[in-house]
Amino acid sequence: MIKKVTLSITGMTCAACAARIEKVVGKMEGVDRISVNLATEKASVEYDPVITDLAAISDKIEKAGYGAKTFEKNNLVDEDKLKKEKESRTLWRKFTISTIFAIPLLYIAMGPMIWWLPFPIPVSLEPMQYPLNYALVQILLTIPIVIAGYQFYTVGFKAILNRSPNMDSLIAMGTTAALLYSGYSVYQISKGDFMAVDSLYFETAGVIITLILLGKSLEALSKGRTSEAIKKLMGLAPKTAILIRDGIEVEVAIDEVEIGNIILVKPGQKIPVDGVVVEGSTSIDESMLTGESIPIAKTAGDSVYAASINKNGLIQFKATKVGGETALAQIIKLVEEAQGSKAPIAKMADIVSGYFVPIVFVIALLASLAWFVSGESLVFSLTIFIAILVIACPCALGLATPTAIMVGTGKGAEYGILIKSGEALETSHKIDTVVLDKTGTITEGKPKVTDIITMEGINSSRLLQIAASGEKGSEHPLADAIVKAAEADQLEMLKTEGFEAIPGHGIRVEIDGMSVLLGNRKLMEDQGVELNSMEHHSDRLAGEGKTPMYIAMNRQMAGIIAVADVVKGSSLKAIEKMKAMGLEVAMITGDNRRTAEAIAKQVGIGLVLAEVLPQDKSSEVKRLQTEGKKVAMVGDGINDAPALAQADVGIAIGSGTDVAMESAEIVLMRSDLMDVPAAIQLSKSTIRNIKQNLFWAFAYNVIGIPIAAGLLHLFGGPLLNPIFAAAAMSLSSVSVLTNALRLKKFKPFQ
Amino acid sequence: MKKILLMLVLSLVLILSLAACGGTDVVGETSADSFGKLLEAMPEQIEADENGQGWVLNAPDGSASFFWGKNYSGEGSYDVFIETDIQPFLEAGLKGEMLPPGIVSEDKIIVGIDLGDDKLWKDKETDPLDSYRQILESNRDAIQYHGELDHYGINIGSGNVFEWAKDMGTNDKDMVFVLDPEIFIEAGVDPGKVDGWVFGKVKVDGEDGKPVEVEKFLKPFDIL
Repeated sequence: MIKKVTLSITGMTCAACAARIEKVVGKMEGVDRISVNLATEKASVEYDPVITDLAAISDKIEKAGYGAKTFEKNNLVDEDKLKKEKESRTLWRKFTISTIFAIPLLYIAMGPMIWWLPFPIPVSLEPMQYPLNYALVQILLTIPIVIAGYQFYTVGFKAILNRSPNMDSLIAMGTTAALLYSGYSVYQISKGDFMAVDSLYFETAGVIITLILLGKSLEALSKGRTSEAIKKLMGLAPKTAILIRDGIEVEVAIDEVEIGNIILVKPGQKIPVDGVVVEGSTSIDESMLTGESIPIAKTAGDSVYAASINKNGLIQFKATKVGGETALAQIIKLVEEAQGSKAPIAKMADIVSGYFVPIVFVIALLASLAWFVSGESLVFSLTIFIAILVIACPCALGLATPTAIMVGTGKGAEYGILIKSGEALETSHKIDTVVLDKTGTITEGKPKVTDIITMEGINSSRLLQIAASGEKGSEHPLADAIVKAAEADQLEMLKTEGFEAIPGHGIRVEIDGMSVLLGNRKLMEDQGVELNSMEHHSDRLAGEGKTPMYIAMNRQMAGIIAVADVVKGSSLKAIEKMKAMGLEVAMITGDNRRTAEAIAKQVGIGLVLAEVLPQDKSSEVKRLQTEGKKVAMVGDGINDAPALAQADVGIAIGSGTDVAMESAEIVLMRSDLMDVPAAIQLSKSTIRNIKQNLFWAFAYNVIGIPIAAGLLHLFGGPLLNPIFAAAAMSLSSVSVLTNALRLKKFKPFQ
Repeated sequence: MKKILLMLVLSLVLILSLAACGGTDVVGETSADSFGKLLEAMPEQIEADENGQGWVLNAPDGSASFFWGKNYSGEGSYDVFIETDIQPFLEAGLKGEMLPPGIVSEDKIIVGIDLGDDKLWKDKETDPLDSYRQILESNRDAIQYHGELDHYGINIGSGNVFEWAKDMGTNDKDMVFVLDPEIFIEAGVDPGKVDGWVFGKVKVDGEDGKPVEVEKFLKPFDIL
């Protein structure tokens, strides 16, 4: 029997680490499958307990240079949150320490070379007067930085020993080379070669470590931000539940609730786990799951979900799903899996880095040996070796993607656009078709009164007042729209008597001694009310996608109030913008074609996918994908979740359900459809920025390595001094960072 | 945060200790060694000052000399100075009266500085190298390393320097008298016409520690 476990992995720094663990564990006898998630730092392992065991798997992972321990699901969020927060805090602290020492280090080291900069350092530190002091002070300033970045050395060198070099290996090798060469230069100074002060690269090592720590800190911050929404959602889940045991109420911790337990929930309390109502009736606010703000009536046999709020009744329900099986826990799992994916462009950088280290090392070794054999001195050869390693240091390569993603996602967050993964960010810029859900996405999603048509002898306000007074006791969404319209007009509610709901037709009620009927045509016909000219208006309104409701007083037609889900103010403009960007825009809805086309016409959408059942929405998206289109699905409801997941990029509107938000890769915190083209625009800008960053990072290496190897010197040109190699390398990092920061100027469409 | 502060304080203490520690002054130490080698290489050019106040190192052609004192409290001119013939400057247009006072002394030009008022520090008899070490001990900032020429030098004020090679075996300018040309040019000297002196640009460390290129009169000698 195959057993499945989840392990928490520590010490991973890039895709190469995850691949290494998958490789070594995957080869073990008895291991059926392993999947390592870099972002969540977890490994899912399926193994045969008869052949191997968890200890052996953990041991194998630890031998590969990483930490592994069993992941406790019960404390899933809190532990994960604490761990990530601790990691983020530690990285920031390390970055702060290294920055405190790197700034004076850089100032002392580079200050004399910057002619316009005042140089107020003590005479006793002037490089040509007291070169050894100058060097020793740099060593002192470098030591804390190296301590702050010690994990690059422990992880990096361990990875080299395991023949799986990663990003840390490159950093460790590059900075170690700079430190060793600088150490040699200090020795030279102590022996009287004062010009060796020009060969000190402590600041190179220090600044590299500081910048990489900055990159790692930004990455941790970025990761934390993407999962803030889900953490907030988890915070809503209650910590305790009231069980009914032998007729007695017993409050227990949420972890102790088991399937089959009968749970009591009082008005105002949250539902602790998923289950089915067995006694009582109430209305429950499931807005955290569905986005629907109107409480839903629940009676015996209805399902209830963890973290939803019991509004007014006392109910008892039987637990059907607990712990990690609740809808809420499933959402978390989905998000975690989504975070595991890296932008393909970043994967490429990781893959290149995997080959980069050994190739650079071989080039450095061969070039220095070649020069030595050709008769050059050992120092000359060493200079070549170090210059190549220093200029090829992958600092910029490591920063290229996370800094742009950090700035890009940060900028998005500023405008209410949450991009959950690098993959979504990259895919978004390739989108050519946008499918928009109708209700709640293009429209407000909440019916509103749009038209009031009255017969002679009654005005609009009076008709609305009578209708609202009658509907006050109804829970129907259309009734709610009428009541809200009256409230907005500050109309006084009239006293009613004898309220009677006529299912499927409307209501009958007594107001001020009048018999009032409010409902559809069928109700009027059944009650013998003459429709008169209202029939014509009714047909017209229906043709516009609105729902007309007749009002009769004492069996005399009084007028019509039409209710419709109105188009959002920005929908037309947003769709025009998307079209201007060359995107094909389609609308998908379960509504009838007449209503759907009426809405589509208002917003200028040509492609209408109407009368699509919720479960078929994803099929429609898939159909478009088979036509070769890159599809973005924009939706807000729980019924949109499958389509959001199927689409190349799922975009959830913020006012919608949390399930939709968790299914989508991009979440728009506002309900403004203009954020859709803005998100795509941001994606394009960010990916362009990443490509520019990678270009600069690679260009420095491609141009710098041959020069560092002495190519120009071979033809009588200059030899690249490692200090220029370091400057070029630092410049590449600075240029990458500066370029990434340009994204801060991003402004979305208005 | 406590750790950061602790590390910061510790580093600052170490930095200040180092700054105050003479043991790391490799320029000072090796400059004395090189100066000693220069003196060893031309013993016949060294003589005690006639007033017993210091030592004189004469250029091989006798056209200039470098004086360094051994008793800063004594009477006389500067504690450290360069003395050279005035004739080549006069021939190049120098109007002696236009030079600042104290520079012209009979047929000589003298530029130098005072290092203090201290009497002899040592009771025993001093030698020329001992006197140099006294300068190093009391006026370390006056000693400098000139990276471009691989020279040490004693700054004798107003841009005038006496320099010697760190390694005479490899340097073709083992000893150089350096004069700042500004006052001479202002006094009518055509800098290109001063016989026995090279007028050229050299790279030196400016007051702020950054390299600057300046014009100088140079009188170099290759001893070895």
